[in-house]
Amino acid sequence: MKLTTLQIEDLFKFTRKHFVYHYDVQSELVDHLANDIEEIWKETPQLSFQDARDTSFKKFGIFGFMDVIEAKQKQMNKGYRSILWRFFREWFTMPKMMTTLTVFLSLYLILKIQYSEYFLLGALFLILAVDLIKQTKARKTQKKKEQKQEKVFLLEAMIGNTRQGFATSGFFQLFNFLISVVDNVEFSNLPAHWLLLTSFSTTALLILFYVTAYLIPQKAEELLEETYPEYKLVKNL
Amino acid sequence: MGNQKLFKGSLQTIILKLLETNDKMYGYEITQHVKALTNGELKITEGALYPALHKLEADGLLDVEVAKVGNRLRKYYKLTEIGSKETANKLAEMQEFLKTMQHLVNPKFSSE
Repeated sequence: MKLTTLQIEDLFKFTRKHFVYHYDVQSELVDHLANDIEEIWKETPQLSFQDARDTSFKKFGIFGFMDVIEAKQKQMNKGYRSILWRFFREWFTMPKMMTTLTVFLSLYLILKIQYSEYFLLGALFLILAVDLIKQTKARKTQKKKEQKQEKVFLLEAMIGNTRQGFATSGFFQLFNFLISVVDNVEFSNLPAHWLLLTSFSTTALLILFYVTAYLIPQKAEELLEETYPEYKLVKNL
Repeated sequence: MGNQKLFKGSLQTIILKLLETNDKMYGYEITQHVKALTNGELKITEGALYPALHKLEADGLLDVEVAKVGNRLRKYYKLTEIGSKETANKLAEMQEFLKTMQHLVNPKFSSE
């Protein structure tokens, strides 16, 4: 006996109820449960759909789908990092290298001006404020998608959410550091190697921020199609 | 069921070997195949199979294909080029391990 479309839908709801929120993970588990239920029915055809489903779920052990979710998250973290690295690297090869160098040198020259620490502090504050607004909007859109129970892929959620872990926290560190030193240190008086180091790390942080907050989300569709062979198929369903 | 612990460390090798012989397989098919090949002696648990598959995929040893089967999507796994090479390595490692175990648990048998 084969499962009906309604029963398949029920299995999707079942995975969601057990904390599997992303479509790529859900669909694999649903196929597994469905196969197992059909197998169980071969031996005990009188068993109801719910009982067969629960029997099958028990085979996942006491942690249910948790191990599967965790492994998938780890796999995608690795995937996201490699995408990030691919985009980041581009800024250190020609022709983008010219932009990187310009930013780096401009920062260095600015830092040499008196009171540059206040300028840097102001610029950072501005970036963080703009980003905060952007992130709040992104989170609202994501919530709406979840409420509508749209099919959200794990990497899709990561492109929208995870990025705050990288660049923004880096900016916050820098911001805090500047606040703590701003009364005691004048950047313009620091030796050249300190200024070069500060310019370099700020440049790297700026690129990281630009890549995670703008470039990767812009190319999201392309990246999702590359990662998930089923992406196009599912979105057209 | 005590012997399940012994199998645990070999799960990745088992998956790779199966995919080497069967080209492409989906998760449930792997569990059933192992059950049939070992006459039910070895049951791969669901909670261990998918994490292992996802790890192999993240390491670039497996590639995926998705097909619509009836009213659901099915995800097939197959070996990548690196995966094929790694399978040979893992199998050689496993043979070596089995030989060592033989020496340890059955010295008479192995000395002949």
